[in-house]
Amino acid sequence: MEPAERSRVPRIDPYGFERPEDFDDAAYEKFFSSYLVTLTRRAIKWSRLLQGGSVPRSRTVKRYVRKGVPLEHRARVWMALSGAQAQMDQNPGYYHRLLQGERNPRLEDAIRTGVTPLPRLEYLNRTFPDNVKFRKTTDPCLQKTLYNVLLAYGHHNQGVGYCQGMNFIAGYLILITNNEEESFWLLDALVGRILPDYYSPAMLGLKTDQEVLGELVQAKLPAVGALMERLGVLWTLLVSRWFLCLFVDVLPVETVLRIWDCLFNEGSKIIFRVALTLIKQHQEFILEATSIPDICDKFKQITKGSFVMECHTFMQKIFSEPGSLSMATVAKLRESCRARLLAQG
Amino acid sequence: MGNGTEEDYNFVFKVVLIGESGVGKTNLLSRFTRNEFSHDSRTTIGVEFSTRTVMLGTAAVKAQIWDTAGLERYRAITSAYYRGAVGALLVFDLTKHQTYAVVERWLKELYDHAEATIVVMLVGNKSDLSQAREVPTEEARMFAENNGLLFLETSALDSTNVELAFETVLKEIFAKVSKQRQNSIRTNAITLGSAQAGQEPGPGEKRACCISL
Repeated sequence: MEPAERSRVPRIDPYGFERPEDFDDAAYEKFFSSYLVTLTRRAIKWSRLLQGGSVPRSRTVKRYVRKGVPLEHRARVWMALSGAQAQMDQNPGYYHRLLQGERNPRLEDAIRTGVTPLPRLEYLNRTFPDNVKFRKTTDPCLQKTLYNVLLAYGHHNQGVGYCQGMNFIAGYLILITNNEEESFWLLDALVGRILPDYYSPAMLGLKTDQEVLGELVQAKLPAVGALMERLGVLWTLLVSRWFLCLFVDVLPVETVLRIWDCLFNEGSKIIFRVALTLIKQHQEFILEATSIPDICDKFKQITKGSFVMECHTFMQKIFSEPGSLSMATVAKLRESCRARLLAQG
Repeated sequence: MGNGTEEDYNFVFKVVLIGESGVGKTNLLSRFTRNEFSHDSRTTIGVEFSTRTVMLGTAAVKAQIWDTAGLERYRAITSAYYRGAVGALLVFDLTKHQTYAVVERWLKELYDHAEATIVVMLVGNKSDLSQAREVPTEEARMFAENNGLLFLETSALDSTNVELAFETVLKEIFAKVSKQRQNSIRTNAITLGSAQAGQEPGPGEKRACCISL
């Protein structure tokens, strides 16, 4: 019976990713059959909401976004909520001028290393090797699109240039928008406005946010905070990927997209909500760690399984489990953590 | 060098992989720990690690190998990763001279953050692409000799010298530790460099040697 059951879940997901060898078909099917009902309900609601043409900014929208933006509206809603659409409208032709601008070999080399490291072995793909749309054999191959978006961004924001991690984010944006220029403006919304200084050479914003997470864990989950201190483990070892890739390749695709729905609407504090929820949910498990490699391993394991796959329930949990978390609290913690880091030199 | 079981070991050695982005660090690690190679491995973000337990003589040594993103700006967050390391493989791509030209900078960074006694091997990877070679073997060998580094050329793709590279580094560390232990019988202090606070093995770990992480 097993092979027949397996074949019911397609080997390639709707975004072009091959399902991993160890993909739990049975658990996924069980989840998806109920999620499909949710998706349908949300799709009807969203269609009604968007009938007027524009995406309103209201309490209703916030509630709607938290319950998930349907795939068919996702690009448009992200563009509207993040301000990317406004930027694009105000700067017609800007994206294409960036691509035609003066060449920067260092930037080009850095991007190539992150996207396709060896030009002579063109099938190499360092961003999404498991996505059929990024394969050289697929036409159109999204590697060139990805390269263009990152190159334009490096020209646009020279203080940041290119940083590994941005390739994964731009890759997802391309998969959702199917549009190079929109992906560029969404990347700009994230890197330039929503996230505080994660990718600049000093990575101060990233270091700050890792410290902020540490403070929040100390306050909300003191046992885990104490363990971290006892083991002498730095947060950067455990969570840099969470922050830098905004959970791409950390959590299941659908879950990441649901998180990004809220990220574009509510800002970077969403990242802390996700991190705190993951840690809180698996607190007992984490507390069993006896060494640094042990805790590293546990932090990998807590990003797998049904808890994170069931994205609808997971998204409800991120707004209830960690308790209150205002942008003002985050801003205050960022200020003190940043000052502390700067004082350390 | 045989495989021991995962749970049963006398020593833990932390070894770090460093070098520019795209030189093949992640594939060297996966070849050594899982005998796997991927043409399409994803760029490493932050820090990853993998382990393999090997037998050196009668001692079971757990090699704990840390892999890090090669991109320069990641050093802002990865310097902590050198802490407690007793060995390092400094990898360059022998088909890309630029990755060799910056080896000295990596070495400085390593010595700035790790113990002075750390065992370092310079590794020229991608020896399978000999038609595209940009770094002559002798040049790299001379550099290694002048700087007191071990040296090998490897291919993570066809496995050439990968086992030997890690084995050589581990043996060298083992020799140093054994010597330290001999001395410590007299001085009653086991260190290779110094054990770091907070890096002691937890209650569940074997603690045959305090350089374990």
